[in-house]
Amino acid sequence: MQGFLDFIQGFLDLGATVILPVAIFLLGLFFGQKPGKAFRSGLTIGVAFVGIFLVIDLLVNNLGPAAQGMVERLGVSLNVIDVGWPATSSIAWASAVAPFIIPLGLVVNVVMLLTKTTKTMNVDIWNFWHYTFMAAMIYAISGSIIQGLIGAILFQIVALKVADWTAPMMSKFYDLPGVSIATGSTISYAPGIFLVKGIQKIPGIRNWNADPDSIQKRFGIFGESIFIGLFLGAAIGALAGYGAGEIIEIGMAMAAVMVLMPRMVKILMEGLMPVSESAREWLNKKFGDKDIYIGLDAAVALGHPAVISTALILVPITVLMAVILPGNALLPFGDLATIPFIVAFIVGAARGNIVHSVIAGAIMIAISLYIATDVAPIFTEMAISADLELPEGSTQVSSIDQGGNIVNWIIFKVFSLFN
Amino acid sequence: MKTVLIACGAGIATSTVVNNAVEELAKENNIKVDLKQVKISEVGAYADSADLLVTTAMTQKEFDFPVINARNFLTGIGIEDTKAQILEELKK
Repeated sequence: MQGFLDFIQGFLDLGATVILPVAIFLLGLFFGQKPGKAFRSGLTIGVAFVGIFLVIDLLVNNLGPAAQGMVERLGVSLNVIDVGWPATSSIAWASAVAPFIIPLGLVVNVVMLLTKTTKTMNVDIWNFWHYTFMAAMIYAISGSIIQGLIGAILFQIVALKVADWTAPMMSKFYDLPGVSIATGSTISYAPGIFLVKGIQKIPGIRNWNADPDSIQKRFGIFGESIFIGLFLGAAIGALAGYGAGEIIEIGMAMAAVMVLMPRMVKILMEGLMPVSESAREWLNKKFGDKDIYIGLDAAVALGHPAVISTALILVPITVLMAVILPGNALLPFGDLATIPFIVAFIVGAARGNIVHSVIAGAIMIAISLYIATDVAPIFTEMAISADLELPEGSTQVSSIDQGGNIVNWIIFKVFSLFN
Repeated sequence: MKTVLIACGAGIATSTVVNNAVEELAKENNIKVDLKQVKISEVGAYADSADLLVTTAMTQKEFDFPVINARNFLTGIGIEDTKAQILEELKK
């Protein structure tokens, strides 16, 4: 027995680039894939980790010193770098608890469907990474895999409940019959629905609206990650007191991060896809003919012109808020591209009213900035245990999506009481 | 060769599912395609060179090229219908 435990511990100590690939290989075999195909999936995930961590290095080693420079010159203390959800999901999958999450998530969903405690069959296996992150975070403070998994289950239950609750509203506004949205990035902002309802009662403001077409023309540039990277990188370089050459260099490096990061995560996605497809087919076979919602990635709602317009306006607002809000230390970067996911529920609740959505969205993002700042120390610790090398000095990392997730934070705080 | 835009919310997750499916579909039918995986908000920047947009996101904009909704690739229901629809456009 002791020998077996030592073996397991030894295996878990191998770290990110080994644990999940092996787990995915085994899961693939379990779902009846050929060994060659399952091995390829596992290997692909290992490769993706290597790629993602290269890009995160590029990000923090460029932006870290510049953020420090900005702190010293201007006293704007934004020394927590927002690495964005692609990196956040990788840090989550790199945790020792990760291999358990996909089977556990399936079991929890099936049990809830059978007991009729949810109507959502979440086939969006990729977004199980939110549960993984929850588990990884609690594991990081408690050292207990069991506690981590309990946290993940709690997060999943909230996600499915919110998905059930918002499904009628979402299907009406976005024309998504039979679909619900359980994506962690989106469900955290469900309280924004109440904000919108409040805003729509305020005399005067309730009649304000804006035209999506003219906004997309004027703010369109904020929708293209490559330009966000260039401008934000260069601006931070300038504020840090860099010379002209260095400003161009850091702008270019940040544009590269914005373009390369999604490419790398795409590889991770490719590795997870065979297992995720098998799991989906399995769920469909079990529950496909029942009267239930199919839980999909919030992406299905994101092309709506009101969502795009709201998100575009919120990009500069988020940066501005980060600078002026006292006590915030998060430097928004990677997740500026994630704002459409943040506002999906809010825009639906506002029935496409862009002004109301922007107001509610800004308040919700402000809350996320504080939460992301608050969890930065533990987030940074998780990144380091995923073998990420951070530059010297006091630079920390966090993210708006999941780092700033309200549900994640509340569950984390509850577990912190006991550890 | 046709240029096909594959778009979703972030150009990462669901579009990868569709991207791989379309890639396989084209290979099986010996059709050469140039696939570009993008965010839905970036479609405008590629509009000049595109022949087809396949997206898991929704779009209410009018484009000069056909738009196929690929939500079925996510739900797993009706995939074959969507594939047939895409194939028809690729063969045009």
